[in-house]
Amino acid sequence: MDRRHFLRWIGKGILGTSGYWLCARGVAWGKSAFEYALEGQNLIAAKRFAEARDVLKEAVRLDPKSDWAHGLLGRAYYGLGQKAEAVAAFREAVRINSADTYSRMMIEIITQKPIRRLKKPVRPLTPLEKKARAEEEAMLSQLTPEGGLAYQVKRVVIDPGHGGFDSGAVGPTGLKEKDVTLDLAQSVKRKISEKGRIKCFLTRTGDYYIPLSDRTVIANQYQADLFVSIHINANENRKAHGCETYYCSEKASSKEAAMVAAFENAVLKYDEPFKKRPGYIDIEEILFNFERRLYWEESGKFARTFQNRFEQALPFKSRGVHSANFFVLRRAKMPSILLETGFISNHDEEAALKKASIRDEIVAAVIRGLLNGRG
Amino acid sequence: MDVDDLIFQGADYHYKGELDKAIAKFQAAVRIERQNEYAHNQLGILYAKKERFDAAFREFQKVAQIDGHNTYALLWLGILYLKQGNLNQGFEKFQRIIEIDPNNADAYYFLGAIYNFRHNTAKAIKYLKKARDADSDESDTHYRLAQAFHNLDMTANALLEYQRTLALKPSHTKAINGIGWLYYNRGERDAAIAEWKKTLKMNPRDRDAIFNLAKAYNDFAWEAMKRNKPKEAISYWKKTLGVDPKNKAAVHYLKKYKA
Repeated sequence: MDRRHFLRWIGKGILGTSGYWLCARGVAWGKSAFEYALEGQNLIAAKRFAEARDVLKEAVRLDPKSDWAHGLLGRAYYGLGQKAEAVAAFREAVRINSADTYSRMMIEIITQKPIRRLKKPVRPLTPLEKKARAEEEAMLSQLTPEGGLAYQVKRVVIDPGHGGFDSGAVGPTGLKEKDVTLDLAQSVKRKISEKGRIKCFLTRTGDYYIPLSDRTVIANQYQADLFVSIHINANENRKAHGCETYYCSEKASSKEAAMVAAFENAVLKYDEPFKKRPGYIDIEEILFNFERRLYWEESGKFARTFQNRFEQALPFKSRGVHSANFFVLRRAKMPSILLETGFISNHDEEAALKKASIRDEIVAAVIRGLLNGRG
Repeated sequence: MDVDDLIFQGADYHYKGELDKAIAKFQAAVRIERQNEYAHNQLGILYAKKERFDAAFREFQKVAQIDGHNTYALLWLGILYLKQGNLNQGFEKFQRIIEIDPNNADAYYFLGAIYNFRHNTAKAIKYLKKARDADSDESDTHYRLAQAFHNLDMTANALLEYQRTLALKPSHTKAINGIGWLYYNRGERDAAIAEWKKTLKMNPRDRDAIFNLAKAYNDFAWEAMKRNKPKEAISYWKKTLGVDPKNKAAVHYLKKYKA
């Protein structure tokens, strides 16, 4: 910006908007803060910035609550080319009086481009800060900040579907979905833990029911990088067979997927309409939406990776990857997928799911998906 | 009218929330002085506030063309790229800023946030620490740093950064909820419950706090059942319903064990 005339504003009533006039404490024998500030103002008008700075420093020392004096000090520093100090003084003026348009504007003008940083005073560490520093030294020495923007998975939550009174689907000979999913999840956890590269957590470790909301809460509790929910499919048509993978996205990939999601979403209705503040840009909202979109995209990639592993390793037909706007998957603050590893309602696949060898193959495929899929 | 007067008036209208009047003043200013970076940047922000994001983008691009070192315009271009979902372009802008200004806290913040979204925690910590050290007054910088430490189980650092978040913004409920999990995961359950209740006091509809509490009470109930103490379990399931009245597990098990 052309700042040729900024000093002219001083005489255009701008001071009136930020004027603060309070005589300093203890003025009986010396100049008051107001008098110093007035003198500083005159010196700025005369372009005697160094002298102005000195008297204005005295003004703010005597009256630290004068936004007017701080604003003038900012102008003096600016006149001297000391931009960092000028910004600090203008910031103080705005902190005291948020309606100080001139100081706010000057901060914005100056900080459009790089300025030097002012040194901060060093203070002694609190006990928690000392503990944190020791922890950081111990931990970060083991971590080398490497890798680009590829998504990284170091902690995964495995969710065995259903449980307790909710058996899930039941096969023609009585095999229960909840039992198969728990067995698969426990095997995945045991085997992945042996490899040591990924920490694994389960949403349930026994035959009890966990509501849908708790499952993603657990993923959030452990700050997981990936949430994998294991299910076994079922259909009234006993001929239906194969395995498929779901992930959360804004749009359903098919009518069937939309119906599944609509059914799931009907269970929980906690969503509040987003309250938009007019004339306000919410950076955190932009980041939130961006993050969610990234996770959905990443979920799609994980879903395709897992489905590929199933195609390669399992004696089940691949039914592909589907997406829908699952409320429950949406609440997870990380990529999340839902695996349907066969149809328990199909005689042949129920029989296969009873076999330890097939379960081992499913577990191995899931582990390959976790270890080699992404990141 | 003098361009400086127009700019001052535009800024004044902007701060008072009179966006259309502010736009008119800045538009008049750039008609007089086409290369005025501040006026173009203000127009960019004002258009963004009016949700005219394409127009905002054009204003910031103009500034970047006038002076490629105007880091404010580059920052907003980066943010608008993120708004479009364009990770690589946004990332590139933030990288460019720190090449120009190695002390730019905002650029470090966005780079740290992006690495957090990619769960590249070590890099997220590296950049967020730089953001924090360049400007320690941003609550969200501390919060995101806390999340990154939390992800690595660096609990002392996570707690410290959550606390710093709250020192700057006591109503930051996500930080309170995060502290709750830190306590919960190290077995300090009463302290965890107290944190989530604190959140609910501030916002009774905070879904994270509701579901966290419900999950915790359900956990306690199951532990009581394992210890063969159904009465205690029932009292916890009742608490679950107190915060989450439709919690399917609590509804079912209360019905079952009360009978």
